[in-house]
Amino acid sequence: MDDYWLGILANMGLLSFLALSSYVLLIGGAMSFGQQAFFGIGAYAAGMATVLGAVPLGVALALAAVVGGLAAGALGAATLRLRGFHFSVASLAAAEAVRISLELFSLRVVSSEGRMTGPNGIEGFRGIRYLYERGYGPVDFVLLIYGVLGLVLLALWLSERRRFGLTLRMAGEDPVLARTLGVDVRKARIAAAAAAGAIAALGGGLFAHYNTYVEPSNFGMMLGVHGLAYALIGGLGAPVGPLLGVGIDILLVEASRIFHGYRMVAFGGIVAVFLIFRPRGILDERLVNRLRAWAGRAGRHTPDQPAGEAKGAS
Amino acid sequence: MLMTLPAGLALGSSYALLAVGFTLVFGVLRRVNLAYGATVMLGIYGALWVQERTGGGPVLMLLIVLIVTVVIGIYVEKLCFAPHSRRAAVTSMAASFAVWMQLEEVATLLLPGHALPFPSPFGQASGLDVAGFRLAHLLALGCALSVCAGFWALLYRTGFGLAVRALIESRQAAACAGIDVPRISALIFVLASALGAVAGWIIVGIDGQVTPMFAMWATLKGIIAAILGGLGSLPGAVAGGLLLGVVETVAQRSFGPQVRDLCSYLLLFAVLALCPSGLSALWSAAGASRAAEET
Repeated sequence: MDDYWLGILANMGLLSFLALSSYVLLIGGAMSFGQQAFFGIGAYAAGMATVLGAVPLGVALALAAVVGGLAAGALGAATLRLRGFHFSVASLAAAEAVRISLELFSLRVVSSEGRMTGPNGIEGFRGIRYLYERGYGPVDFVLLIYGVLGLVLLALWLSERRRFGLTLRMAGEDPVLARTLGVDVRKARIAAAAAAGAIAALGGGLFAHYNTYVEPSNFGMMLGVHGLAYALIGGLGAPVGPLLGVGIDILLVEASRIFHGYRMVAFGGIVAVFLIFRPRGILDERLVNRLRAWAGRAGRHTPDQPAGEAKGAS
Repeated sequence: MLMTLPAGLALGSSYALLAVGFTLVFGVLRRVNLAYGATVMLGIYGALWVQERTGGGPVLMLLIVLIVTVVIGIYVEKLCFAPHSRRAAVTSMAASFAVWMQLEEVATLLLPGHALPFPSPFGQASGLDVAGFRLAHLLALGCALSVCAGFWALLYRTGFGLAVRALIESRQAAACAGIDVPRISALIFVLASALGAVAGWIIVGIDGQVTPMFAMWATLKGIIAAILGGLGSLPGAVAGGLLLGVVETVAQRSFGPQVRDLCSYLLLFAVLALCPSGLSALWSAAGASRAAEET
């Protein structure tokens, strides 16, 4: 496989984290325009951990997820009262404030090789070379991205089959009804915000190490909105939905070059028309339930296969 | 501090003009049109495109900006707002964002380049100073106030206004009373587009140029100002615009552009988190709290 396609694959994987982050909030009924902030926080946190703290990448990524999750949880708690549009604008305001704060943030130290390193305000953060110093190539990197992505998908799939997923969907569908049925909507929303922040931060940590260089302008409004659009196109029925959305944009619109120079004309139009006919995406709850029922019928002949597995394969 | 007040109010009047469009659409339709800035930008680019080929003065430009903006406004309404049900307000907002991207790219394909000169509607007079205000800024402030007065008269002194107010009160009851709800909704949209066209024409005229950043700038500043004032409140939009202008000018003079933007976003976040009905809570507690609940 050549470098062009490896680059595309890596990009798709990294954007998938952002799409899944938006997805977790969307099924809870919140449309965030600000998940790019946690992607950025994760990128800086993981980068600083390996460059300044000299910890292994695994620890750095875990740290990024924790920092991103805490920041997003705090923000979720502060915006708990807000619904719909007011929530979207609050998340955008917070994300832009984070981006500008990163522009103002400098922490320069002398590295072991005697060079200055660390975040340098608007100039960005260079030299996040953990993987390259250890001789890993692009193929290893793509495998790492998809490995972590697989773990996130597994975690989401498991939690959706448990009480948490159901609670979140109820809170998103009709918060008043959910509350009357004894669902703690506030707790569900804060937990969803924290989980979404942790997922985005994981993606950001991987992005920083893939790129070796990040700057605050990487984490602008357009990045978060793309993540949101991917989740909305792909579908809110199952965690693989957002990945479908990433595939549609990157493979059909960007990589195929049919729409070269008209990318946003095409993508914007696709999204707007899509939202009329399938407001909850291609893989919406109805389709997922239908697939699950179909898999259940097929499963009667092979009873050892759990019904949910067909969902992941579809 | 006092020296920055005229400059802040002048900047704020541009914001107020933009905020009125957002607040009008939200007040009546309970929707937010994120493609608003891009619609106006395409109108301005369209007028420049025509001027490049035929020439023409500021008045002709205004006419073209108006026509293009209203046509695009109708396109946005048909694509993003008419097809979505009342419950899907957030979905239509996402759709309008997608169309924003589309319109912005069409505009930059029409006329590439970083900054395009735009003729000032006020000619030589715009440079004159009156008590610390540039004359053009006074005109912008006057426009913002007269537009609001005009809308007040339209809402409270005409049959159309009565229908609009009935629709704000309850769409169902308005429909039962024989009001053509989709038509009034579409008309409000057209009205907001026309208002945006005039606002854009004044703003880029004062600046003397328009850049591809106009869509983003107009949408963000308009929304921030509208929310600071309390989304859905016309006097709130003007007050919010002026407040944002003063805050930004003071922050910029004291700390530079980055801190200016940081301040406006933090102010926006604080207002949303602590008092979602914004400045309008100061004069109408009941109406504003309803606005925050319904979204």
